[in-house]
Amino acid sequence: MNKNGTSPKAILDLDRMVHEPARLAILTVLASAEEVAFLFLQRVTGLSKGNLSSHTQKLEAAGYLETIKAFQGRIPVTSFRITEDGRAALRAYHQQLRALLPKEGKP
Amino acid sequence: MTMTHLDGPDLEALGALTRDYAAFQARKSGLATALGGLMAVLFLTAPMYVDALGTRLMGRYLLEYLLLAPFGWLALKPLLGRVLYRDLGEVKAIPDAAYERQRWFWILGIALFIGVFLILCILGFASGFLHAIPAGACVTMPSLGALWLPLLYLAPMPWMLRGIEEARAYAVLVGECMLWFLASFLAFWSARPYGRPSMETASTIVQIILVLLLLAILIWSALAMVRGWKEHREYLAILRALPQEP
Repeated sequence: MNKNGTSPKAILDLDRMVHEPARLAILTVLASAEEVAFLFLQRVTGLSKGNLSSHTQKLEAAGYLETIKAFQGRIPVTSFRITEDGRAALRAYHQQLRALLPKEGKP
Repeated sequence: MTMTHLDGPDLEALGALTRDYAAFQARKSGLATALGGLMAVLFLTAPMYVDALGTRLMGRYLLEYLLLAPFGWLALKPLLGRVLYRDLGEVKAIPDAAYERQRWFWILGIALFIGVFLILCILGFASGFLHAIPAGACVTMPSLGALWLPLLYLAPMPWMLRGIEEARAYAVLVGECMLWFLASFLAFWSARPYGRPSMETASTIVQIILVLLLLAILIWSALAMVRGWKEHREYLAILRALPQEP
């Protein structure tokens, strides 16, 4: 047990699917809206197309987001939506991280 | 709308930026609101200008076209949104129940206003207080038959008015149409000696009410133009806050 009352092993229990910075940013953006277009997600996270595709595929495989493919006229548009599991995982990750971090004013 | 700046991996800012962008995308009302204000001023002043009353365009009086202004604005609004506010793809906002309630409050308010207006007009015609084509009239529009037009103002509201600001703009434009309808029914368009028509109101009280309403519209229009422009600038600030493309 450390001063915060959490086991040092708790850090190993962090959800690595969420913990990766790019995926954390993607989930944060998706949790702030109902549906987000690929283009906006790419621009706001600053990821390259390939990188973003790779991370969203992993998140989709984990059941944290769903991909929506549609057409605007004749142009294909890809959008993403966070799932309930994804939202719960993000919430749990925030709680775990907060518990692990030192309290304000304490070293 | 709250403004945020993205400095480094600030998740809070990332979320806020997305929410701001989504809120703006849902309404896309920045320049549309400003345009509504501008149209309201033009719509207010054009029929007051004596020469404009006599102006004919393709065989019809200018006022007849002005009564279509709310539809013109509704058509321009999505066009502006598509041209100006879709460059980064669509972001759908999480439904905001309180905002939706307020939006419906405005839509139902406009519907109620039009409903009451039409009932009063019908009662006015039935009692003989209003005249569809008053004696000495030299402008045939709006006539009693034009009363179906307000019903058309109602039809696109639930689908086309996504934001409260734009609901206000639409309410003012529709309200102006009602004012011109009422003024035309109460008064008559008389021919001046030099062949220009002018509007003569039925009574001083009606004149005062009309002037007060017109003043209120003028004030709102000025505010709408400022607010619309400010919202547009806020959108540009959101774009600036996004990380630059590599």
